[in-house]
This record gives sequence, structure tokens and C-alpha cells, in this order.
Amino acid sequence: MINVKGLKKSFGKNEVLTGIDVEIAQGEVVVVIGPSGSGKSTFLRCLNLLEQPTAGEIYFEDELITQRKYDIDNARKKMGMVFQHFNLFPHKTILQNLTLAPIKVKKTNPAEAEKIAMELLHTVGLEDKRDTYPNQLSGGQKQRIAIARALAMQPHVMLFDEPTSALDPEMVGEVLEVMQKLAHEGMTMVIVTHEMGFAREVGDRIIFMDGGQIVEQGPPEQVFGAPTHPRTQDFLSKVL
Amino acid sequence: MKALKPWFACCLSMLMLFFTVIPLASAAQDNQKVITVGLSADFPPYEFHKKIDGTDQIVGSDVEIAKRIAADMGATLQIQDIPFDSLLPALNSGRIDMIISGMTPTEERRQNVDFSESYYISRQVIMTRVEDKDKYTSVDSLQGASIGVQKGSIQEDIAKDIKDAKLTSVDRIADIVLSLESGRVDAAVMEGPVAEGQVANHDDLAITSATIPDSDTEMAIAVKKGNAELLGHINGTLAKLKQGDQVKKFVQDATALNSGEQQKSNNIFTIFWDYRQYYMKGIQYTLLLSAAGVLFGFLIGLVVSLFRLSNVGILRWIAVTYTEILRGTPMLVQLLIIHYGIAQTFHIEFSVLESGIITLSINSSAYLAEIFRAGIQGVDRGQMEAARSLGMSHGMTMRSIIIPQAVKSVLPAIGNEFVVIIKESSIVSFIGVADLMFQAQAVRSITYSALNPLLIAAAIYFIMTFVLSKLLGMLERRWSVSDKR
Repeated sequence: MINVKGLKKSFGKNEVLTGIDVEIAQGEVVVVIGPSGSGKSTFLRCLNLLEQPTAGEIYFEDELITQRKYDIDNARKKMGMVFQHFNLFPHKTILQNLTLAPIKVKKTNPAEAEKIAMELLHTVGLEDKRDTYPNQLSGGQKQRIAIARALAMQPHVMLFDEPTSALDPEMVGEVLEVMQKLAHEGMTMVIVTHEMGFAREVGDRIIFMDGGQIVEQGPPEQVFGAPTHPRTQDFLSKVL
Repeated sequence: MKALKPWFACCLSMLMLFFTVIPLASAAQDNQKVITVGLSADFPPYEFHKKIDGTDQIVGSDVEIAKRIAADMGATLQIQDIPFDSLLPALNSGRIDMIISGMTPTEERRQNVDFSESYYISRQVIMTRVEDKDKYTSVDSLQGASIGVQKGSIQEDIAKDIKDAKLTSVDRIADIVLSLESGRVDAAVMEGPVAEGQVANHDDLAITSATIPDSDTEMAIAVKKGNAELLGHINGTLAKLKQGDQVKKFVQDATALNSGEQQKSNNIFTIFWDYRQYYMKGIQYTLLLSAAGVLFGFLIGLVVSLFRLSNVGILRWIAVTYTEILRGTPMLVQLLIIHYGIAQTFHIEFSVLESGIITLSINSSAYLAEIFRAGIQGVDRGQMEAARSLGMSHGMTMRSIIIPQAVKSVLPAIGNEFVVIIKESSIVSFIGVADLMFQAQAVRSITYSALNPLLIAAAIYFIMTFVLSKLLGMLERRWSVSDKR
């Protein structure tokens, strides 16, 4: 579904990604872990071109999205993204947050968009918040809304950029629960996280990144249970 | 960039609406021949404001002459009240057809405009405070004294010839009176009948016995250079008037009319009450100008700020140049360039109101553009990323996500700009927009009260800005409450 070849990204002289090749299959849940500064968020943000890669190719559903004239909005419609700091639209109600993009981008008719939105609010357990504004919600609620907002576009893949890092500990659970439900429904997901327990439980494949490269990858039981690379072992010994 | 187009279309249509709707009001009587006379109506008995049957009218001997000329030509007369030193530019830019404002045909003026035969000869006098009446009995005694004159007037030229005299040139006769009364100047050179009118209304002023040699000055009517046809009509009418010594009679009548206008009391409250309609009308214009200035300034400023933040170098350059020039030049200069300069160069004539609104709009747009830029840059970067990640285009994101938040965050600053504009709009009185300042000047020349009409205007300006600031403060607090959890 997503195919990344030789992806490099520099900010000025600072090379953050030094060459990444990875393939993500339909329905797969890939969890990216690694120390901070390892480039995992940059890698994720390159997948929908929020960061413009310096070199390399990214194919999404067999289309080369890194080619010059490609209309990236086209791919982004099918790639949902959830951010560390939620980034809900503060001047819109919860319902409007969910229906804005479907109506504007996909030209879904408003009644249909609202129906989809209400189903999603039901899924994340926040139907009663439809007419409130984001500032009246807790962090965990905001992130659940952010997930629902991305899902409202009915994406083919969901990208999660440290979705629980900005949350108070007691709110992490409710967000992970929603993500887990999503994974069980067969959604293709790429998740950057520090929640190792969640990664082990939900991930089909774990990617360990360090120094802008993929150091080691494999099924959770392999990466967490028997890491082969010394840097992976070192990292896991610190976080587990 | 293509996504910006609806915005352009929107702003353009607003601008077009602005340029089409407003002139409609003034273009109604195009089919009748209209002759427009410019004069500085603070010069009794030649031209001055007077309340007749409750409405303000410009009257005086020059106005009578103008009426005769118009009647002989079969045209409708239109009078524009313009400060004296703006009369020549107004004539040359084609905004008025002729000047009848007690103007003396000096050599210097003859180079710029053509003059009719002279229609009246006036003598110049020295006016001082009563206690100094015997101090200045001759021109020589004025040596080293400070002298007040009207800017651009013949009296200014005369005073320049007085040895060691320190000249203070001001816009209005009322300002000369104020300068005399407050001791800023010792004496004033003034037209005889004009001085008589002032002395009759100010007990503390007097005309000295000094005579100024070679100071008899002719008055003539100015037309645009080369306008021989109009000049022919004017001279024809003047010749007729001269036969019956009509002009002298006009001046006598006007003097009588003027002195009949004794202000009962110069008490500030009486003045306000008697001339409340002047002030009310002035308030309306001031508010209209300010509101239009902020509204159009808002729209233009938004477009300029988007240019400023655009990725296209040339657009950024245009925006920077636009804001820097507008913020780096005085608004008065901008006003005069737009009103007179554009008319002269491109033959586009804006009415005084249009010129006023355009100037205020573009001037405030430069300030608002900077405010918007700060507002747009102040919106969290994550907002753009979130919207883009949902597949929304850059333009769509700007419109639905970024700009609404930016505008909300800069609303207090926009309100501030409104308050500033209310005060700064007073400069449009320079080109003759009947705003609050203009009305205050009119009341000054009617009542011969130099200071009180200004104090009333100051009080009204203060009340308007103070109330508005308080209202904005309340609004702001309400908004910020809804932002809190």
C-alpha cells in the first residue's frame, strides 16, 4: 500500500533521515519506536508529504506521490493523520471539525457527512459533545475527536504521530482503546509511539529506528523478545 | 495560487461596488449645465457661512457675483468650500471651474491661472488687540512685531515686505483671531471689510489707524489657464455689474447681513445648542468615513497581508512596498495627492467624500495588513498541518481555518484602528469633506468664536473614541470568556 525507497530528509545541513526503505501492506499495523531524535516523526510526516523528502521515492497505492506535478491533496484524502497536539480547529464545533473536510474536499453532502460524523462520534464515545467547542474538552477527549476527524474522510491508512505523548497518564488508556478497536477492524496503521506495551500488543510489525535509519524490524515478539542489534537491546533495556 | 481567486473576486467586487455606488449620488444632475465655484468661505463679507431659515448657507458678495455669472450663462451654480491655499490646485485639477474668493491677481498666480477684469478694490488694514491699538499706528511701528496672516493670501505677501516682521501664516481667519487673542501674534494684516466684521464681534480687537502704502488690492475671478470662453462670459457679467456699481452694493448688503448675525452669547453650551445640527451632520460624516475606511481597509489589508505571506516574490515585494510607502508618508500628503494629483494626472475625479474614503482606506489598510500578518503568523502551525493532512488545499485552509482564527485574534487591534481612524479622519476637512472638524471650522467662522467650536469638536471626538473603546473592551472580554474552558 505504501512503498518507500531510499527516503532521505535533511533540515539544512542536518540529515535527519539517511535512507529508508520500507513497505507497508494493506491492513498491516506498523509501530515505529526509537529514541527521540531518531527521525521517526519525520519519517511519518514524509509519508503524506507534510515534510518534503530531500531524496527518495514514496508510492501510495501504486502512485508515485513524490513526483513533481503530483497533486498531494489527492493522496492526503486517503491518508488520515493524528497529531501529538491534536490540532483540532478551535473555532469550529466538534461536529464541524468532523464534517468540514468531507464537505469541502470530498463534496459529501452535509446530511451524509453529518451521519458519518455521528457514527464516528458514537465509536469514540463522544456523541454528546457534538455541539461543544474543542477548548471545552479534556486532552483524551480531544485526541479521540482528532482520530474521528481523520476517520471522517474514510481514509485507507491512518498515521499516528505520538498520539498519547501530550496526554495526562490517566487519559492515555481511552485513546489507545480507540486505536486498538481500529486495528481490529483491519485499518492499515503506521504509529509512532513510546507506549511499548501497546506496541507489543497491537503491532503486526515493529520498526526500530535510530540515527535516521531503520536499525531492526520484525514481529513484536522478535523485536521485543529477542532483539538482535545492540542499539535495539540498549534502547529496550532503558524503556522497558 | 489558483485557490486565492475567489478572494480576489470578492475583494474586487467590493471595490467596484465602492467606486460605482458612491458616485451615483453626485452624478445625478449631469444633463444640466453646472458651473462650480470654489471659495474659502471664512471671509465675510465676501464669502461666509450663515444659517438662514435653519439651514447652513454660503453667502456673501462673491456668491452674489457667482450667481449672476451662472444666471447669465444659463447654468446651475455649485459652490465648493475649500481652504484658500487649496483653491488653485482645485482649479488646475479641474475640480472647480472658477475661483471667486476675494483673490488678488498677483504675477505669481497669473503664471498658473487666468484672471478676469478686477471687480473690486479692497484696502488692507492692521488689526491688533485693543490695548495695542495706539502702539501700531504706522507700518514702520510694526518692525520686529509678529504678524498673523492667512496662508497663501495677498496679505501674506504684504506682510513679508514689512521689515523684520515675524510672520505666522495660518489656514483660517479664525486662527488669526485666536493667535491675536492668545498673544501669539501682535498684529494681523487683513482685508478692511473682513477685519471690520471681526472687530464688530470681538471687543478685545481693534483696527489701527495705520495705512499700508500701495496695499490697495484688486480682486478678480480666476479660471483655468486658456479657458477663454468662460473668461468671456465672466467679463461680460462683470461689465454689466460695474455699470450700476453693483459690486459695492453686494459688499454693503453682505456686511449688513453679516453683522445682523450677532451671536447672542459665546457660551460654549449655547454655541453647541445653536449649531447642534452642524455637529450632528459632522458626526455622521466622521462615522461614515471611519467605518468605510476601516471596512475597506480591512479587505485591502487582508489581501495585502496574504501577498506579504505569499511564496511569490513579486507579490511579497508589492506588499512590502505598499505598506512601507503608506506608513512612511503623511496621510495629509496622500489625501492631497489622491484628491488633486490623480484628478490632474489621470483625469479621474473622485468626489471629496470618495477621496476621503479612499485615503482613509488605503492608509488604514497598510496598518491593518501588518496586524493581519502578525495574526496569521500567530495561528498555530499545527492548524495548517491538520487541515492539509485532511486533503484541504492551501487556499481552502487559509479561508476556512487560518484567516477566521487570525481575524478573531486581531479583532481588538482592528477596533483600535477604528478609534485611531475616527481621530485621523479629521484631516479630510482639508479637501472640504463636511466632517466634524469641517463643521467646527464653519461654526468658528459663523460665530466669530475662535476657540469654543473647537472645544466642542474635541469633546465630541473624545466621547466617540471613549465610548467605542469601552464597547470594544466589553466585546473583547465576552469573547475571551467563551475561549476559556
